[in-house]
Amino acid sequence: MKTEAIVQKIIKLGEELEEQVEAGRSPEIVMPAKGLGNVSFNEEKKLLQLGEKTMSRNFLNIAHSRKFMQTVMIANLCRKLVESEKHASIREVYYQLKHTIEGAKENTFDGQEESDPIIEDLERSLNILREQMNLTADRRGYMYGNVKIVDAGDTINCAKLGRGGYGIPSTVEDIGFADIQADFALVIETAAMYERLIEEKFAKKNNALLIATQGQAARGVRRLIHRISKEQKLPVIVFTDGDPYGYYIYSVIKMGSINLAYLSESLGTPDCKFIGMTMTDIEHYGLEKVTEQLKDLDVKRIKEEMSYPWFKNKRWQTELKKMLKGGVRIEQQSLANKSLDFVAKKYLPEKIQTADFLP
Amino acid sequence: MPKDETLFKNLKEHSIAEFFRKNSQMLGYSGKIKSLTTVVHELMTNSLDACEESNILPDITVQVMQPEEGLVVIRSKDNGPGIPKQHISSVFGKMLAGTKFHRNIQLRGQQGIGVAGVTMFSQMTTGKPVEIISVTKHTAWDIELTIDVRKNTADISSQKELEPKPEVTGVEYFANFKDVQYSTGEQGPYEYLRRTALANPHAQITYIDPSGAKTIFERTSNAIPPKPIEVKPHPKGVSVDDLIIMSKTSKNRTIKGMLQDDFARMSPNKAKELSELVDFNIEKRPARLSWGEAEKIVKAFKKVKFLAPPTDCLRPIGQERIEAAMKSILAPEFLAVVERRPTVYGGGYAFLVEVGVAYGGHAGRRLSSGEMRSEIMRFANRAPLLFDTGGCGITKAVRDVDWKRYGLKNFDQLPVTVFVNLISTHIPYTGAGKQSISDSDDIQNEIRQALMDVCRKFNKFHSHRRKLAEHTARKNKLLKYVTEISNALSELLGKDEKEIRTYWENLVESAVGETIDDLESKVAEQEKEAEKNEGVLKETVEDENGKSSVVYDSDADESPPENGDGISRLSDYM
Repeated sequence: MKTEAIVQKIIKLGEELEEQVEAGRSPEIVMPAKGLGNVSFNEEKKLLQLGEKTMSRNFLNIAHSRKFMQTVMIANLCRKLVESEKHASIREVYYQLKHTIEGAKENTFDGQEESDPIIEDLERSLNILREQMNLTADRRGYMYGNVKIVDAGDTINCAKLGRGGYGIPSTVEDIGFADIQADFALVIETAAMYERLIEEKFAKKNNALLIATQGQAARGVRRLIHRISKEQKLPVIVFTDGDPYGYYIYSVIKMGSINLAYLSESLGTPDCKFIGMTMTDIEHYGLEKVTEQLKDLDVKRIKEEMSYPWFKNKRWQTELKKMLKGGVRIEQQSLANKSLDFVAKKYLPEKIQTADFLP
Repeated sequence: MPKDETLFKNLKEHSIAEFFRKNSQMLGYSGKIKSLTTVVHELMTNSLDACEESNILPDITVQVMQPEEGLVVIRSKDNGPGIPKQHISSVFGKMLAGTKFHRNIQLRGQQGIGVAGVTMFSQMTTGKPVEIISVTKHTAWDIELTIDVRKNTADISSQKELEPKPEVTGVEYFANFKDVQYSTGEQGPYEYLRRTALANPHAQITYIDPSGAKTIFERTSNAIPPKPIEVKPHPKGVSVDDLIIMSKTSKNRTIKGMLQDDFARMSPNKAKELSELVDFNIEKRPARLSWGEAEKIVKAFKKVKFLAPPTDCLRPIGQERIEAAMKSILAPEFLAVVERRPTVYGGGYAFLVEVGVAYGGHAGRRLSSGEMRSEIMRFANRAPLLFDTGGCGITKAVRDVDWKRYGLKNFDQLPVTVFVNLISTHIPYTGAGKQSISDSDDIQNEIRQALMDVCRKFNKFHSHRRKLAEHTARKNKLLKYVTEISNALSELLGKDEKEIRTYWENLVESAVGETIDDLESKVAEQEKEAEKNEGVLKETVEDENGKSSVVYDSDADESPPENGDGISRLSDYM
């Protein structure tokens, strides 16, 4: 979408509000509803999808008025950013707009956790991506491997950046792929495991591209994985801890998340596969002694995940049931119990060799 | 004078002095704080009675002075008719214990020992005489006296005749006290007078504290309360001892005749019924009634059904007068007073209760820490009860009310004054101190009923006020957001900020303003409806109580709670 079109879309929102007020009606901002109630699993696309339900944010409704004000403020700021061709991080947005409301003991925003969801609301309401409104988030996640990318005019070889690799920006729209020499991409939950694999020269030996998510994958990382899968046709393998949290990281990379269901088509990677850790690994590799006890919250999560449509298959149900029955979780790094290079030399190669993946 | 009689006389006088010394606690002189309040009470009662008996609207001043550590001087001054010189000695210098005993009449006095007790207490603690300035229409005297405890007569140590001033009659009294403590708290003189003023709206009371600060409790009614009348005792409310005393003084020729003449509700038929229940002839002389026989009669009384005692002898303060007094003294935001119909407790005693609840303004008690406490003001026949709070039946009845049901959550910490006046020909005090009422289901139930009545009114007031406050808060909240919105919109649309703001402000004004008017008329309608049908109101009120206002709390946030979808909470793990 062109810059001018984006600015016009934002201004139109303001004009509509003004028309409503001048006509004496209570102004409202309409947007697709979010949350589980308006999200469904599209079997065909294998993605979470936003439904048809809408919600309206009504100024005269006292429960909405604060958020209404915040939405208008953020809309105006985004318009300014796009017009002036500047970028701002979502934290900067918060600081730019935060002040005490005139004649009141109340702040416009009380924390970034208040402004972030409003940005998502605005995205859904205008059907414009945050990235298109020149909003950025903190860099999170790294990429390492024999791949050359073009970022802001510079060509970068991601295998020649020392042991750290390339820090993935929050907006990867403008990044181009100059050359990819890899057979597959391995997405890793923890940065420590990512560094272990670099040190063991796993990427070189297996012709792999390594991506660290550092916990839940940020939008930039998910978009990058999506592009590697869709545009570069590279198989994607996900490697997380063997616990409900790790499995949810996989679920989000694959299907999209409930909060950002409206972005699933551009963020989800339905073709990716899961390599581990699994409960079966514990028995197979004799890791019983390095497991950890599940907490009550874990048990609750497992039960929830068992009900997800995309986990409704024999392999996943078996794994989740085993986890419930055994009452334990297992971390990626517990493989170090065998030896430091066990994961790079035996665990991963063996599983890739036999295509021992979960769907 | 024969020797025996002299002996007897001395013994008798000796016993009065001894009685006072040994039993001063029974007369209210126990504890340093309570003693001082008793002094104020006796002087106040004396002045009020003097004025009322002469049909004068009381205007009474009480001053407390502390000229030196440990010494308190009390001055009281009234506008009564004054006391002729020949009576001053007996009023202020002779113990008249017993004048109010055994009379079935609604009186405010408690001790019956009167103001002579004050003189006695003063001289007991300081050894000094008291000073009385009495001005009648014809004479005026300034007299200093003590009580000669052995003879029980006044001992005048100084007397001066003054110029009479017919237009300013009255009595002024000065007395010194030790062994007392001046208190500014709930049991001190100020509080006693404040409450006396509440229960005696026809009196103007001025109080001057030791620092010289003056408080005037203004008169709010010009009607002098009608004199109480003495009624015959009801058979259900008589003790064996009472019956023996009556029989010794009766002029009737037979016990039967005495019962018919001296008791209320005792018809010849009832007397006959009674005679069949005792195993002796009640046609004999009253003087020959033995203790055992009297016991049998009292027992028989319990078995016979009598009409309830007459209740026209009761003299309540009156709902309107209490309202005026509470309004004047407490200046509350809310006030409701209920007077119950006269009824009977224990089968034989007529009583009625008057109850008031004030909220806000000067109601309640502010502690020195600034915290608020609710207060319960107890009265028996208009006299404030300041002591023995916990064991009092009135306190218990007030505590029994489920205040939070009526919008008075945390009752103890609210700016609330609860006024309860028990009117009866016979107040059932718990003990000789006469500072608390004994437990009686009949009385406590009446108090509770009256309070619940008042509370229902409060609840209406409260929910109305809460709604108004919510409206104002809502409007202010919206208006403060308007500033930010119009700033942002004026930038976004490139339009004049003031013009935009005016539109938005008008929107808020019209949207919220209308609702307030709607609400006002709705409340007015509700009140009309309520008057038509009290039963329905009760249900509505109870309903409202359980729920919070639904006017605009109901609009839940449009987004479902984040932790409701069961997934995003995974961040809890991190």
